[in-house]
Amino acid sequence: MTSIHPLIADQVSRSFGKVMAVRDASLTLNPGEITTLIGSSGSGKTTFLRLLAGMERPDRGQILSGDTVLASATRHVPIEKRKIGLVFQDFALFPNMTVLQNVMFGLRHLPKAERVRVADSWIEQLGLTHRRDAFPHHLSGGEQQRTAIARALAPNPVAILLDEPFSGLDPSMRDRVREAALGAIRSAQAPALLVTHDASEALIHSDTIAVIDQGAILQSGTPETVYRQPRSLAVARALGPVHKIETGQLPPDWRTVINPKSETLWYRPEAILLGNGQDFTVQASKLAGPVTELRLRISDAKDIHAVCQSAGSIRPEEIVKATVDPALFFEFAPEST
Amino acid sequence: MALYTGIAAGDGATWDHLLQNRLVPYTITTLLTLLIAGIIMLGFAVPAAWVISQYDFPGRGFFSWALILPPAMPGYVRAYAWADLMGAAGPLQAHLRDLTGLSARDYWFPNLFSVPGLAFVLGSTLFPYVYITARAAFSMQSLATLEAARSLGARPLDLFWRVALPVALPAILGGLCLALMEAAADYGAADFLGIQTLGVGIVRSWQSYNEPNTAARLALMLVLIAGSLLIAARLYQGRKGVQQTSSRWLVPRRARLSRPIAMITTALCTLILLICFIAPIGRLLWLAQETNARSIDLWPLLRATLALGVMGAGAAFIAAFIFTLAAKRSQVLRMLTRLIAAAGYAAPGAVLGLGALFILRETGQALAGPIAITFLIWVYISRFTSAGVEPLQATLDRLPKNLDSAAQSLGSKGLRQFLRLDLPLLAPGAFAAGLILFVEILKELPATLMLRPFGWDTLAVKAHAYATDERLAQATLPSLLIVGAGLLPVLLLSWRLGATERS
Repeated sequence: MTSIHPLIADQVSRSFGKVMAVRDASLTLNPGEITTLIGSSGSGKTTFLRLLAGMERPDRGQILSGDTVLASATRHVPIEKRKIGLVFQDFALFPNMTVLQNVMFGLRHLPKAERVRVADSWIEQLGLTHRRDAFPHHLSGGEQQRTAIARALAPNPVAILLDEPFSGLDPSMRDRVREAALGAIRSAQAPALLVTHDASEALIHSDTIAVIDQGAILQSGTPETVYRQPRSLAVARALGPVHKIETGQLPPDWRTVINPKSETLWYRPEAILLGNGQDFTVQASKLAGPVTELRLRISDAKDIHAVCQSAGSIRPEEIVKATVDPALFFEFAPEST
Repeated sequence: MALYTGIAAGDGATWDHLLQNRLVPYTITTLLTLLIAGIIMLGFAVPAAWVISQYDFPGRGFFSWALILPPAMPGYVRAYAWADLMGAAGPLQAHLRDLTGLSARDYWFPNLFSVPGLAFVLGSTLFPYVYITARAAFSMQSLATLEAARSLGARPLDLFWRVALPVALPAILGGLCLALMEAAADYGAADFLGIQTLGVGIVRSWQSYNEPNTAARLALMLVLIAGSLLIAARLYQGRKGVQQTSSRWLVPRRARLSRPIAMITTALCTLILLICFIAPIGRLLWLAQETNARSIDLWPLLRATLALGVMGAGAAFIAAFIFTLAAKRSQVLRMLTRLIAAAGYAAPGAVLGLGALFILRETGQALAGPIAITFLIWVYISRFTSAGVEPLQATLDRLPKNLDSAAQSLGSKGLRQFLRLDLPLLAPGAFAAGLILFVEILKELPATLMLRPFGWDTLAVKAHAYATDERLAQATLPSLLIVGAGLLPVLLLSWRLGATERS
């Protein structure tokens, strides 16, 4: 069935004029896995996807599918010969074709009956059978995006690249579409790259997360590793809030537990565990949905950020007990902050 | 306008034998001309628009605006130039004979004085209408859609036939219908080439055969054709909603063509420009240089042209301005003004001229002096107001919707609002509208020919008279002046198109 080769970017760079959009980026997309590329806007994530797809040529470096070179200094396989599936934020369906015709578009090499059969099976897998003969402008956003995903998967691509595919969708349907889409992608066994700026989407749905900033891939690994062991402040920030604190301001007990080596520390708010330990006064509390964000006074003029479950409200001036989880305190080399 | 056609059609109730014999051939000739012209326009416009919107090749930037120049040269002027170029004594045939050693009787050479010849002249004049709409339609397509198609294995030609063209087709056909409507309104080129189209038939029936009934029937048929084309154009344009427009990656990323293909593309674009603009204008310039064209007295022509142009443009401009402002105030008025302007737009000059002549005859007035000029200006207003409404409306549409409310909330209203807000905001559009109106009136031939009082020959009328008298040399200078004036609004338009592409 699907190719089981990984898609590999090896030391790839691309500049536009003086701006280096992607620099020495290396990343391996493994078959059957969803790799998420996360970064803020302008970080180079879309350019990186376009390089993999063949919409841009790298200035340096190589792109390979298994052992086959797709792009290098001397070779450039054009986009139409790469067999890489693409899914865009704005769906990019062919407006003059029905759902079925859209999904059949990439199957021209097959006989007609086979084309219909293959397309129908993908349409069914993505739950679109009842919309099979509808035109894109009659579909909801979620249906359009599922069509786009069926269309990209139908020709058995060597990889599938998704550029912020869910951020154009209504939040109420986003989760359902994402479940269906990522399920289909996993079952297709092709290497998949999901480009996003949504940290929770990356953490929940990927096998590997790569963080890109200013064109460079700073770190890649499992969501667990990248979230809990970020190598730089930029990586830590890309996946969730972090706060800064001077070692000297920490309560002595906490300092013993954390055992820091540098003057400045960074921590995630959930590193502060409420329930046991020392007493602190709540300075401020803010309800943020399922969690409540707190500020606790730890020394004369210094507060620390914490979160707790929203059940049972905590008001300012209340006294709470708190300890720390040393694993979520980070020390970064000065140049990486 | 409706009154015009009503009178033109209502006069004379019997279908006599003669009439029937004329109506059918005239109609068939007109439709055949339109069919061939349409094919020619699509052939020039669609490929050019596609390569220019999608690819980089040497000269792309130049062609992107140069290809809209041809309408600067009216069809009748282009017909004179090509007649001279292609005639038995013209340079093309002379070179052919030099090369082959054949004599004039030994070979076949395309005859311009034929239906395909007229279609070629009109098609090469009007194809930019199709080119502009096609280019806009291709550029507006979501780049992501094209890239998605490529990622699914579509080759460049697949991309064009299977993805881009079907999506752009309604817009392209809309542009084509408008261009064909203009072609149907032609009188000058057909008359010069001796092709019996409806436009020619109307003028001849009135002037030469003195058969007003025939003229009226022909006019009704022509209005029917032009009106259906306009309605078809509006229907096609209304279907734009199907098109997906993408907000992302709209920055044009044009693919670079490989060297040999780029060379062929550049050569083909050059050929189109050569055929549609450079060759005929070059021939006219050469003729003006070679023959003593300066011997004719241009002064009276210029005076009449300027006077009619300024009066007509002024009147039509005021009408357009009132229409636009009225449309801004109320939806009903907006619909109504659009309808009136559209009716005038679709009515060919020959038909409006005929209508005016009928009214003059009914009221027993002679076609002379101030009355003739008043009627002529009335025709200009009817025919060209919509050309003036368009740039004004476009300027207005770009303004924020709540501007009026904002102004009123600040205590501005009535005349004060008009002077302080409407007038300055509409100024750029007003300039364009004035220019377009002036040039359109300057180029107008059939109505002016039918209604002008004695001593009021315009450049267009005189050029046509000289050319049909086979005195081409004398026709060149007035023709060149018309082309020169016609270039102004076209250059303005191409500059604007360039600006939208740059931003």
